Amino acid sequence: MVGGGHNGLTAAAYLARGGARVLVLERRPLVGGACVTEEPWPGFRINTYAYLAGMLSGRVIEDLDLTRHGYRTIPHDPEAFLPFPDGRSLTLWSDLARSQKEIAKFSKRDAAVYPKYLDHWSEIIGLLGPILGGPPPSLRELAEQFRGPRYERLLRDLVLRSAEDLLSEWFESDELKAVLGFSACVGAFTSPRRPGTAYVLAHNSVTELEGRAGAWGFCVGGMGRTTEALARAAQTFGAEIRTGMGVRRLLVQDGRVAGVETDDGGTVESRIVASSVDIKRTLLALAPPDLVPAELQRQVRGFRTCATTLKFNAALRRLPRFSAAPEAPGPHHRASVLIGPSLEYLDRAYETARAGRLSDPPFAEILFQSAVDPTVAPPGHHTMTCSVKYAPTALAGPSWSDRRAAAADLVLATIEEYAPDIRGVVEHAQVVTPQDIEETLGMTGGSCFHGDLTPDQMFSLRPFPGASGYRLPVPGLYLCGSSAHPGGGVTGIPGRNAAQVMLADLKGVASPPA
Amino acid sequence: MPTYDAIVIGGGHNGLVAAAYLGRAGAKVLVLERRPVVGGAAVTEEPWPGYRINTFSYVAGLLRPQIVQELELGQYGYETILYDPQSFVPFPNGTSLSLWNDTEKTQREIAKFSKKDAAIYPKYEEYWDNVLDLVEPLLLAPPVPLPELVGMFEGPQAEELVRELFLLSAWDFLDEWFESDEVKISFATNAVIGEMCGPKTPGTAYVLAHHNIGILDGQRKVWGFSKGGMGRISEALAGSARHHGVEIRTGVGVRKVLLQGGRAVGVETSAGEQIHSRVVASNLDVKRTLLELVPPDAVPAEIRQQVQRFRTRGAALKFNAALHDLPEFTAAPGRPGPHHKGAIEIAPSMEYLEKAFDDAKYGRFSTHPFLDMEFQSASDPTMAPPGKHVMTCFVMYAPRELAGTTWSEFKPTAGERCLDTIAEFAPDIRRQVHHWQVVSPEDIENTLGMSGGNIFQGDITPDQIFSFRPILGWSSFRTPIPGLYFCGSTAHPGGGVTGGPGYNGAHAILEDLPGIPKG
Repeated sequence: MVGGGHNGLTAAAYLARGGARVLVLERRPLVGGACVTEEPWPGFRINTYAYLAGMLSGRVIEDLDLTRHGYRTIPHDPEAFLPFPDGRSLTLWSDLARSQKEIAKFSKRDAAVYPKYLDHWSEIIGLLGPILGGPPPSLRELAEQFRGPRYERLLRDLVLRSAEDLLSEWFESDELKAVLGFSACVGAFTSPRRPGTAYVLAHNSVTELEGRAGAWGFCVGGMGRTTEALARAAQTFGAEIRTGMGVRRLLVQDGRVAGVETDDGGTVESRIVASSVDIKRTLLALAPPDLVPAELQRQVRGFRTCATTLKFNAALRRLPRFSAAPEAPGPHHRASVLIGPSLEYLDRAYETARAGRLSDPPFAEILFQSAVDPTVAPPGHHTMTCSVKYAPTALAGPSWSDRRAAAADLVLATIEEYAPDIRGVVEHAQVVTPQDIEETLGMTGGSCFHGDLTPDQMFSLRPFPGASGYRLPVPGLYLCGSSAHPGGGVTGIPGRNAAQVMLADLKGVASPPA
Repeated sequence: MPTYDAIVIGGGHNGLVAAAYLGRAGAKVLVLERRPVVGGAAVTEEPWPGYRINTFSYVAGLLRPQIVQELELGQYGYETILYDPQSFVPFPNGTSLSLWNDTEKTQREIAKFSKKDAAIYPKYEEYWDNVLDLVEPLLLAPPVPLPELVGMFEGPQAEELVRELFLLSAWDFLDEWFESDEVKISFATNAVIGEMCGPKTPGTAYVLAHHNIGILDGQRKVWGFSKGGMGRISEALAGSARHHGVEIRTGVGVRKVLLQGGRAVGVETSAGEQIHSRVVASNLDVKRTLLELVPPDAVPAEIRQQVQRFRTRGAALKFNAALHDLPEFTAAPGRPGPHHKGAIEIAPSMEYLEKAFDDAKYGRFSTHPFLDMEFQSASDPTMAPPGKHVMTCFVMYAPRELAGTTWSEFKPTAGERCLDTIAEFAPDIRRQVHHWQVVSPEDIENTLGMSGGNIFQGDITPDQIFSFRPILGWSSFRTPIPGLYFCGSTAHPGGGVTGGPGYNGAHAILEDLPGIPKG
């Protein structure tokens, strides 16, 4: 297994559970990939990259007994808090009536429609969940599931329309559309006004936490606990994990991948190799060039791996006070705090980023995990992680490493508009740029989803037609990371699905796994 | 007994096609056109004596050959002149790229920018030929539901095609083929024309396909002039329709569709006259048809809502002019040059085009607009007085609603901006312009009755085509009101002077109206 991110670990655990002898090679000193919690400042546990729990497949949690290995979550409640420049705010709660009361501040009509909207989403999640959980259906199989005008419309709305189009079918209030629609830009370098983003919104709604569909939350102790639990599960089943050991290239014998060469020059032979790194790194950097035909290389290059996000993480003296909700701590500190008062704000942010700059002003999703989970900060202190959009892969002008200070200042200035004391409460801060993500984690372009989650790169089209079933067009080589169906996010599903394919193939080969 | 079998509301090119086919099948047909001329957007007018101007629609090629043949349009004056070069794109550094009808000649042009792209170009052509083999049979037929359409594509290669045609932006699509920005932009303009979309908008690869269906003189993917102007197409259609017994009244608008027991039984004209018919076919867009011509309670609320949501955003204005002489382009000195005989595209880079769209999203006429220009008189001297010339420019992006101003106020500024933009590439343009006019999206809406000033009677993006056009469940040219039909661009296969919706609408009516005596 090349790479010990959450999908690599999930695949390894399933393989070991299926009786295979498995070795995971992770280049970094710790497992987890983007799903890690680190301590840049003593006592402050920071989700350096991934920051939200909710997508991890219930099946994986159960099959691998992750709860026993320390995986625990707390759903967000309130779910989201969106402050506006004029001092108003919109909070969504897990309690429907409470959310409706909030929505009614902006539109009584929307408040009345909201329960129907949630029902509609339950139906979408019910439809999409199994598709995302299983192996990728062919377009024909997918189309079969969407017969009849009702489903045809759903197919159109999800695949061909923008998140804004979809939300406008339901609601009139721009404020409500903003709080419901922001996640349409999580996973792709696109604006919620662009066709295809309705799908991104749906993709990000297929979550489940503590039995609640559509919920997001915190992983107790930090996101790293998820991958620590996965690693323990894998080890319990007998998988071997080596950290601090990168893979330099794939070994090939008789046209078949037969092992790997590690960074220290050593070689490890195996019957098959699974890659949990992205498709570009797998086929353009790790595979010997003569193994990948030119047409295939062209397809791999065409796969879009655009960065979208910069992380701004901080240690805080205390929680900041928001003008729209002055109490600290307040319930809103337990929610996803969103800086992005309208979908147009996001669209404009996209526009500036397209020109090769960090959006000005940027969108930010802010979490204060310590407000819910005191284990992540020293007593009385707090943590803050901000996912900031859009941060393009390539900057016009200076490189990301030269833009760190300016980026930090821009993020603080943006938050300051809503929480004027922010600069005063920050003790330490770090900026994780797309370049950092690419260099530290090896994710091409700094794309934390191993490739945009837009409809043209989903299902049987991910990573590209003919390579979507976890078997790559190179004998002995498998893809088990987020470049494969159903894509990015801490789901564990690519890992699980790929392991099943590998186990089937290993059984088909003469000698049974030892 | 109703006086007519069918009344066609609106004498645009599709209304005339529908009428001609109905008449040809023996139906007694009346066409009512509000304006004094037939043709709708396909008209040629003479705003300045001797200068024949394609006020709105300006390019031929999309009209389906089957219709040309079956309606014998050649006999009624329809004649075309193929563009060659098809397009000429000048760049600010004085270089240019021409796309010719001859593949090798085009390859030589492309090689100026990229040898690799030049080598790939024949494959790109072949790709489109394969797509057209699939698409052409779908045009003159009722639309296939999307899931069925998608289900027809099996295997990786077919799935690749679905991805490319329905999901990709023109930008990503062209990126997969070519490396040179100059080459990409030469193909990209067809992917956004008439749409409020930038080249980065997913779905625009389909728009590119839509604009590749042109056939002229047996050549595919080509554009040309209608000799004597676009109005000749409509005049030929009217001629053919009359030959088949169709009655056409101009200067007669329709106020409403008459209903009896929920069924369309005729129309009331603007003058108050009631005319009865067995069916009514509307050549107008779905919004005009279902929101204005019939009372609100005749259409279920859910469908009304869908109609309101059908996107009809105007994206373009026309800048038309009478010229003393052809302008001289820095990138191709001399006049007339071969480039004056095709389309000239002022859109020197992909980013230029996308930025032009950015402006329009927030209600601004593009600071640096994209212009698609033609000098028909250079190929067809009947269009202007001897020695003089005409110029028509299709200009994007011009949003229907302007932020902070109105079109009537802004038109002079818009015209000056068009001239400034042209002057960057043809510095003598102001000296050559004798008269000019700006036809704004508001003018298009008010003069022609097209909602939003949208020239396609609704965007032809993937979410509004095939079985989604104009409303899911009502894509078979029938409407929720029995006896009322669509026969305009608002229906499948959409906008452009194709005649497809007229043909399809007429055939739906003929299916429902048995017993029309075969004429």
